[in-house]
Amino acid sequence: MRVLAIDTALAACSAAVLDTAGGRIVGSESLPMARGHAEALIPLLARLMKRSGITFQKLDRIVVTTGPGSFTGLRVGISAARGLGVATNIPVVGVTTLAAYAAPYLAEKSDVPVVAAIDARHGHVYLEVFGAGGRTLIAPRIAALSEAVRVASETSARIVGSAARTVAEALAKSASAPPIVDARGAPDIAWVAQVGAVVPDGQAPPKPQYLRAPDAQPQHAASLPRR
Amino acid sequence: MIVLGIETTCDETAAAVVERGADGKGRILSNVVLSQIGEHAEFGGVVPEIAARAHVEALDRIIAKAMEEAKASFAALDGIAAAAGPGLIGGVIVGLTTAKAIALAHEKPLIAVNHLEAHALTARLTDATEFPYCLFLASGGHTQILAVRGVGDYLRLGGTVDDAIGEGFDKTAKLLGLGYPGGPLVEKEAAKGDAQRFALPRPMSGRRDADFSLSGLKTALRLEAEKIAPLSDQDVADLCASFQQAIVDVVRDRLRSGLRMFRLRIGAPKALVCAGGVAANQAIRKVLHRVAFEVGSELVAPPPALCTDNGAMIAWAGAERLALGLTDPLDVAPHARWPLAQVAKEGDKAAAQ
Repeated sequence: MRVLAIDTALAACSAAVLDTAGGRIVGSESLPMARGHAEALIPLLARLMKRSGITFQKLDRIVVTTGPGSFTGLRVGISAARGLGVATNIPVVGVTTLAAYAAPYLAEKSDVPVVAAIDARHGHVYLEVFGAGGRTLIAPRIAALSEAVRVASETSARIVGSAARTVAEALAKSASAPPIVDARGAPDIAWVAQVGAVVPDGQAPPKPQYLRAPDAQPQHAASLPRR
Repeated sequence: MIVLGIETTCDETAAAVVERGADGKGRILSNVVLSQIGEHAEFGGVVPEIAARAHVEALDRIIAKAMEEAKASFAALDGIAAAAGPGLIGGVIVGLTTAKAIALAHEKPLIAVNHLEAHALTARLTDATEFPYCLFLASGGHTQILAVRGVGDYLRLGGTVDDAIGEGFDKTAKLLGLGYPGGPLVEKEAAKGDAQRFALPRPMSGRRDADFSLSGLKTALRLEAEKIAPLSDQDVADLCASFQQAIVDVVRDRLRSGLRMFRLRIGAPKALVCAGGVAANQAIRKVLHRVAFEVGSELVAPPPALCTDNGAMIAWAGAERLALGLTDPLDVAPHARWPLAQVAKEGDKAAAQ
C-alpha cells in the first residue's frame, strides 16, 4: 500500500510517502513552523511527490492528522487531504496527533503505558493515555496540567507530546526515576504514515478532533424586553 | 473554458461549475450552496470558529455534488478557483487549501479570487453587462460603491466607515428580539409599521463623498427603543419601518453621490449593478431602480441566489481572470483583509514579470 501522510496540526508542516510493501519511507519533508502552514503545505506536497517519483493516482490512501492541535493548523491539513480525496477518489483516513506521538514508543515496548500530552494553553493539555498493547486507558480529552502530572506519576509512563516536558518537570519533583520524555513539537511524520496505513477502512474518518468547544456565547440578553 | 469555484469566506459553504464561452458568455453548470444559518442563529451573528468548523466538515461533499450536477470530471476542468479573501480567515483557509489540493492533484491552474471581485463581476455572468459600470455591493459584511472598469480594474468610490448595511439589519433584529439573519425579519415587520413614528438620523447624507456610516443610526434606534420598552408588537413594527426608511434614504443619497463621482471620473456608467443580500430588500430594490433611472441608466440585479454568497460567482471571476492569463501560485496566501484596489490586473502582472 502506498500512503501519503500529512501533518500540519502542530509546530511543523510535514508530509511523507510510505510504501508498506518494503516498509519504507519513499520520501519525506518536515518544516518546523508555528504558522504559515496554509502557504507552505501544497508546494511541499508538490516537491515531495516529484522527489518520490509518484503520482497522486498511484496512491492507495491519504492519511492526515486530525488534531488535537492548532484549530487553524489541523484544518489546513484536513482540507488538503479531503481536497485530494475528492479530486482523486483515494480514501482519506485520520490519525490523532496523540496516537502518532505515542506510536513509536508503543511499537518499541508495548507493556509500559504512554502518556501523550499536547499543550492546550491556559494550564491545560490535550491528554490521552495508552496502556498495554496500545489500548486506550484515558480517551483523548482536555485536562488540567495537574491531572496529566498525576496520571503520569501513577503509570510510571513514558511521556510524549508538545507538553511532555512541562508534565515531566512537574513530575520530577515527586518521582523517583526520571521518566522517558519525547517533547518534539510535532509527531514524526513517518509514524503518522505507519499508523494511518494500519487503520481499518472506514474506521477513522478525517474529521477534526478539536476537544474544545468554540469560544462563543449565545446572546439572548442583548434584546429589549417585549410587552 | 470550465472552472470550478469554491466559496467559504463567511457562512455559506458553496461550490459551482461555470462555463465561459469564447464569446465571453457564461453558463452555470451547477451551483451548490450549503447555508450555516442554523448553526449561528442562537449567537445572533456569524461566529468565526463555528463557521470554519462547518466549512471543513462539508466542503468536500459540496464539491462532489457540484461536479456531479455539472456532469464534469476534474480532468476536464480548465481551472480551479477559490475565494482567497476578504472574509473570515478560518473559512478562507479551508476553501483555498482545498482548491490548491485539487489543482495540484490534476495539474490545473489555480485562481485565487477576491470575494468582492466575484460579486463585482457577477452581472457579466447573468446579464453580460459591459464595462464600465457602477456596483453597489451591500451584504452582512460589506457596503461599497465601486466603479468596475474591467477585470481587475476597480475604483472604490465609497464605502462604510463602520457597520455594513446587512450588519445593521442583523443588529436591529437582535435588539428587537426578532432572530437571525435580520434582513428578511426586519423587512417583514417594517411592512406593518409606521416609518414616520421615530425620527432617526440619515448619517452622511448631503456629503460630497460616497461613504456610509451606520453607527449613529444604530445608537439612535436603540435609544428610541429603550425609551418605550417594554415593546409592543406595533412598537417593533414601527421601529423596523423607521429604521428601514432611514437606510433607504441613506442608500439613495449615497448612491446619487457615488454616481456623480463615477460620471466625473469615468463618464457614463453602462449600468448600476447591485450585489449582496441587502438588494433582496424590496424597499431598497425600489430605490436602486429609481436612482439608476435618474442617471439615465438601468439597474442590473442578478437573481437573489447569485446576489448572496455562492460558488458560481467565484468560478465566473476565476474564468474571467483565467481568460486573461491571470493565475496564482500554489503558495498564494489567504487574506482576511483584501481591498479590491489591491487586486492585480493584467497590466500589473505583466509589469511584475
